[in-house]
Amino acid sequence: MAFADGYLSELIGRQAVLQGPARLPVGRVVDFFVGKPDDTFPRIDGIVFRTKGGPMQSAVSDVVEIDVDGVLVLRNAPSESPAPENKALFLVKDLFDKQIVDVDGRKVVRINDLEIANTAGTLRVVAADIGVAGLLRRLGAGRIAPRLLDRVPRDLIAWDNVAPISDVNPTQVRLSVSESRLSRLHPSELADIIGELSAQDAARVVGSLDDETAADAFEHLDADVQQAIIADLGADRAADIIEEMDSDDAADLLGELDEEQRTALLAKIEDREYADELEELVEYESDTAGGLMTTDYVWIYPHRTTEATIGKIREIAPESEFIYYLYVTDDKRKLLGTISLRTLLLSLPTAFIHKLMDTDVVSVSADTSAEDVASAIARYDLLAVPVLDDEGCMLGIVTVDDAIDAIIPDKIANSLPRFIRHHGRRTGVGAT
Amino acid sequence: MLEQRKSRLWRNVLLIASILGPGFITASAGNDVGGIFTYSVAGAQFGYKVIWPLIPIAVSLIVVQEMAARMGAVTGKGLAALIREEFGVWITLLTMLGLFFMNTFTTSAEFAGIASASEIFGVSRYVSVPACVVLVFIFVLRIKASLVERVFVVLSLVYVTYIVSGFLAHPVWSDVARGTFIPTIETHDPAYLGTVVALIGTTISPYMQFYLQSAIVEKGTRPKGLLATRIDVANGSILAIVVAAFMIIANAATIYVFNQHHTAHPIVVTQASDVAVALQPLAGKFASTLFAFGILNAGIFAAAVLPLSTSYLVCEAFGFEAAIDRRFREAPVFFVLFAIGLIAGAALVLLPGIPLVGLAIASQVVQGLLLPLELVLMLVIINRVRVMGTYRNTRTANVISWATVVIVGVIALYYTYTQIVGIFVH
Repeated sequence: MAFADGYLSELIGRQAVLQGPARLPVGRVVDFFVGKPDDTFPRIDGIVFRTKGGPMQSAVSDVVEIDVDGVLVLRNAPSESPAPENKALFLVKDLFDKQIVDVDGRKVVRINDLEIANTAGTLRVVAADIGVAGLLRRLGAGRIAPRLLDRVPRDLIAWDNVAPISDVNPTQVRLSVSESRLSRLHPSELADIIGELSAQDAARVVGSLDDETAADAFEHLDADVQQAIIADLGADRAADIIEEMDSDDAADLLGELDEEQRTALLAKIEDREYADELEELVEYESDTAGGLMTTDYVWIYPHRTTEATIGKIREIAPESEFIYYLYVTDDKRKLLGTISLRTLLLSLPTAFIHKLMDTDVVSVSADTSAEDVASAIARYDLLAVPVLDDEGCMLGIVTVDDAIDAIIPDKIANSLPRFIRHHGRRTGVGAT
Repeated sequence: MLEQRKSRLWRNVLLIASILGPGFITASAGNDVGGIFTYSVAGAQFGYKVIWPLIPIAVSLIVVQEMAARMGAVTGKGLAALIREEFGVWITLLTMLGLFFMNTFTTSAEFAGIASASEIFGVSRYVSVPACVVLVFIFVLRIKASLVERVFVVLSLVYVTYIVSGFLAHPVWSDVARGTFIPTIETHDPAYLGTVVALIGTTISPYMQFYLQSAIVEKGTRPKGLLATRIDVANGSILAIVVAAFMIIANAATIYVFNQHHTAHPIVVTQASDVAVALQPLAGKFASTLFAFGILNAGIFAAAVLPLSTSYLVCEAFGFEAAIDRRFREAPVFFVLFAIGLIAGAALVLLPGIPLVGLAIASQVVQGLLLPLELVLMLVIINRVRVMGTYRNTRTANVISWATVVIVGVIALYYTYTQIVGIFVH
């Protein structure tokens, strides 16, 4: 095949002629297209020419050679462009100058040029050029000062690390591969990227993620970004995502919405028990223990043996994130004592929980301020502190990471605020 | 605790923001130092007969700002990003070069305001201007820009004093009405033409369209919310025009009228303290202080926001990392552009013997000259179905904005022609 490794912009604007002594002029190269954009390194299938008779297309395999003057020599005359195929992705029209997510660099960048490679006779897109070199090449620096251009450091992202924002070309392709590339990111990084996008693009990216990934990323987003995205996603999808979120984050989010929106969302949540719980959590002020707490804790009965309890935890723990403290309660959920996972594991299998548990429990009430919660956790070196009502019944727990987040001031040196908060946990489970 | 306090503060800021929408803020930001000097000198030099251009300018301003807001709401992208995506690298490069040059020039107008104000208080510009550069750096690097922005916009309501002063100066209202509703054109006076170009440039600053569209995107306004945004844009534009008209009236009623009666020893507006005379009917001997306060406020605010947003726009267009909370290593282009814009703007006013008022007005003339080019780009994009769908321009909006392009273009070309001829004649 005639093409060598290089950059796409170097091919754009080239003359094309027909094979044969007459070298009949065809037109100029204006674009290339790939048929399967979802491939890791998509194969370039066709060329678009601007001719006197309008746009025409040829297969890449029709190019016999590129002569010394850089003119493309075609085997056959190009044919009229077919009606826009739904699957084809045009490299210049759809990708040049557009924004993409650099999955490895974890940022949003613009495509200045595309690096192409001839791999065993197949021309493929291998990387996006996002650097100054690509810009200069587009401006024709390669023709004017090729040596100088070679000295400019390149900034390329391998195509398998590229995640086009799915509105690159809404009428044509949805790059499904790219979305799983995004879910490779840590939720807080994903949230950073989402925060960089416009509300529309952000909603599209979130819309393309699975519920769980979306929920994880959501927990790291600012309230105003969350709200903008929810407005776009629609109540059904938003409710699915909220259902996957940790209860304290979900409650924070719901608390920021107006009454009507909140009721609508809560009504769509399938797990009714969880919806009720969220509704209660929303009522608490966000700077109190009630606002910080999660209902995702493990409670156990006092009259069981450690062996039976460990067996029970094995059943329920996969659903629960915080299992380091177990809360011993009666059947009214009145807190009798706590026991750490460590104690539980190191004790005799036949020992009874009520003999082992620590009855001298540090607890807070729902209206305890965040600062007091944090200082209690700090003073007693706890990983979490239980929140009790007036009767001493468990409402939830505040974990150490949530308490820290609540008292550490957000960065203020920031004109485009993207506060990152890390919260934990999901809804409560009990071992009965 | 802290988070709660912060979130309460945030909520309050949002509350203010909902009253002072992006349209309002943008229009207020248009009354920067260049604007104050332009309106003041226009009124002082030509009297009431430069009020009438404000009416067609107001119509164009509303139409153009609405277009920018609509593009932001529909596409969710800033104007710089759209220009890059729709026109490719070359046009983007030229646009950004023009924008950077123009905004740096306007930044120097802001520093001209700072220098004038400080000299009214008896502080040398060689002290105040470098001090403000440092202050702006601290502002930008330490404090949330959106908060600073709103505080300054509230402070900028000090311009309402011009409305009061305009009344207290007891202008001859029949003359004001004549100047407002009966167009007079003096094509042979290059100074008059220059003033009109500056009036257009300062009222419909090319920079404002970029700024408004970014603000709309940042706020997450959607096409559904366009009605409220349109109202906001219209309110902001009308208020800006009213304030502008009263700046002209206050200056016309004082300086222009004084000069009519004292043709032997007229007040020639060459420095800021001359313009402050327009506030005497309200503030008496404190007029200079009031004027200096207003212009200092406007100058510092715009000197921070202009280089910052210019740098942001250039980075947005070319895909460079751009965020204030990044470290220098992470966003070098962003910080370097910001520093160049700020320091170059400041350095210009420190050139020995540079006329401050003239400099400020010249920057607005440049804005007027470049406005038609920006409008053409906006109009091409906003009429593309692929980009705007059903929200593309209506025929009325197209007629008004193309008329703006043609009229401003013709005036700008004619003015440039007279300037060039002037150079050869002298």
